[in-house]
Amino acid sequence: MKEFTRSRLRSAAFASVAVLLFCTAMSRAQGASPVSSASPIFREVTDETGRTIRVPQPVNRIVSLAPSLTETVYALGLQDRLVGDTDYCDYPADAQNKTKVGGGISPSLEVIAALHPDIVLATKGFNRLETVHALDNLGISSYATDPHTVNDIIASSKKLADLLGVPEAGASLAAEMGHQLTNLQQRLASSPAKHVLFVVWHQPLISVGKHTFIADALRLAGALSIVDSEQDWPHVSLEEVARLQPDFLVFAASHSSSVSPTVETLATLPGWSIVDAVKNRRVAVIDDAVNRPAPRIISAIEDLARQLHPEAFVEKPGNGKEKIGKESPPPNQPSSYLPDVFQIHMTSTGDRACAH
Amino acid sequence: MRPLTLRRLLLQCLILVVILFVVVVIALKFGAVPVSLYALGRDLLRVLFGQSSQISSDYGLIIQNIRLPRILLGILVGASLSVAGTSFQALLRNPLADPYILGVSSGASLGAILALIVEPHLSFSPLFAALLTPLGAFLGAAATITAVYFLGRREGQIDSATLLLGGVITGSFLSAIILFLMSTLSGSLRGLSFWMMGELSTPLQKSVYWFLGIGFLVAAGVIYTTASDLNLLLAGEKEAMHLGVDVPRVRLVVYIAASFLTGLAVSVSGSIGYVGLFVPHAMRFMFGSDHRTLLPTAAIGGAIAVVVADTLARTVVAPTEVPVGAVTAIVGAPLFIYLLRKRPA
Repeated sequence: MKEFTRSRLRSAAFASVAVLLFCTAMSRAQGASPVSSASPIFREVTDETGRTIRVPQPVNRIVSLAPSLTETVYALGLQDRLVGDTDYCDYPADAQNKTKVGGGISPSLEVIAALHPDIVLATKGFNRLETVHALDNLGISSYATDPHTVNDIIASSKKLADLLGVPEAGASLAAEMGHQLTNLQQRLASSPAKHVLFVVWHQPLISVGKHTFIADALRLAGALSIVDSEQDWPHVSLEEVARLQPDFLVFAASHSSSVSPTVETLATLPGWSIVDAVKNRRVAVIDDAVNRPAPRIISAIEDLARQLHPEAFVEKPGNGKEKIGKESPPPNQPSSYLPDVFQIHMTSTGDRACAH
Repeated sequence: MRPLTLRRLLLQCLILVVILFVVVVIALKFGAVPVSLYALGRDLLRVLFGQSSQISSDYGLIIQNIRLPRILLGILVGASLSVAGTSFQALLRNPLADPYILGVSSGASLGAILALIVEPHLSFSPLFAALLTPLGAFLGAAATITAVYFLGRREGQIDSATLLLGGVITGSFLSAIILFLMSTLSGSLRGLSFWMMGELSTPLQKSVYWFLGIGFLVAAGVIYTTASDLNLLLAGEKEAMHLGVDVPRVRLVVYIAASFLTGLAVSVSGSIGYVGLFVPHAMRFMFGSDHRTLLPTAAIGGAIAVVVADTLARTVVAPTEVPVGAVTAIVGAPLFIYLLRKRPA
């Protein structure tokens, strides 16, 4: 075995040379500057997570990493500049035809890079920090939103519109959303809030914490979540629900899937019968737009308010007040703005309510 | 045991390096974005000759900055895990030892997570802060292997079944703590699947690749100096001692180096299981159980295995990715069962 010592050293040297060669090739590859783009003009902005980013101007190619951001881009009339979105971006229907970059948790970096985006839009509640860091390393600008209330969503849409170079569309979208909310608050002014349990998932039972935009959306619809948790997506025990006995259960149902249980199947599940709202079939089903921090959430809020407080929406003769949701848009509304975005659910989900 | 010659060793390594090269080319070609072999060859030549600036192809960015770093990471992680597995198998004289099965990967994950938690509360220079995660992973790995080693000893002897069970249970206990930390803490910790199943999808800073490469060479080199001693250890600790092996020293050195390798791999890729199990077995089957051959061939074989597994992970349901640890576990776990049943009673 003695003579092997030399050969051992030699083979070790051989291996180290091979690895070093590879590392050199790598460092050369990494040292290469990312594809130089033709647009030299950049704008510095700070996103909602506090990162300072450089955005090429004008923004012509957008990749969205969240359904809510895709919806916002459409609502701003920028759908033609959207070059890629996620597997979960299903609204509006046209968003399904965009190039898919995978899911929000682990999108394919190479598909994103191949799209040569000017900006990648992310949102803190749906995407991971690593994705943003990875994009940074690749020299791709990304902008992250982080809304925690419905007002944040409005402000966030407005900031996004500024970033993407359409401040007027942003201003009118924000004005419209604010206007609808104000009208709704006036209608609900004399209705006491209903206690509700918002069911994100029923097996296991997951609800929303008080710092989420969903909890805020519930408040604006005249509903108070019985769950008062610091965590965003707390697991809740049925016992706790039975102790607090909500007036209503609130479900968000998506158009595309029918996985969310109707109250009838829920009533047959073991344990749920101890919840009075299930026994008495006091359940509100609203569009899953409520799960997305995008402009459409306003319509979901209205829908919920109608189901929980029908008395506030009874048209008194001679009142003269127009029905919410059918108000004419402000005169400066851009024509590309989705016309049906706030009205679609009135008919599609309003009749699904099971309130007695 | 056939006498080992340098020529045969180099030949065996060369064959594996050629296979690794072919696998790397295949891995570079396949992905969510299609790339032609011609463009790939042209770009690779340009990179090798230092003319990366000339790469104008649409895919240059993807090949150079996404796929190549990821493949390099796979090579380093695979080689580290495989050498660590080979070392544990020799030291514990148990062919079923593997960093994942022994719970060492979970220990490293927990160490890395704890380092990530305390890091913001300590004001370190950025360089040291970046090293804190691998350090935590190393300490976690070292503590776990020490605990499992003592769990597996009965009446002064290592009992194979007790050792494996002890490792699996320790791993399950540590995973439970990780689950607990993950559900109580939020913020910038990596996702659960990263620590539980492993993934290679995030490109890292260039310095990390250097750190990994040099760390691997040093630790694997240290283990390699004990290769002859490991051969003698296969006959038993007492026997090796009689043949002049300083068993306590070898044990300490190899445990530390193998824990370091596991910690390195886990801190950048999470827990990728079974690589340290099936690669050494395949290499033993092909090239014999002499550790002077086994260690280098297992290193290259581990690289091949992880690059193949990761290529599958990112292509089977592209553009969505599967955790690479799920791929290695699907191959590795049945093999573990097979080896467990085949084992002499």
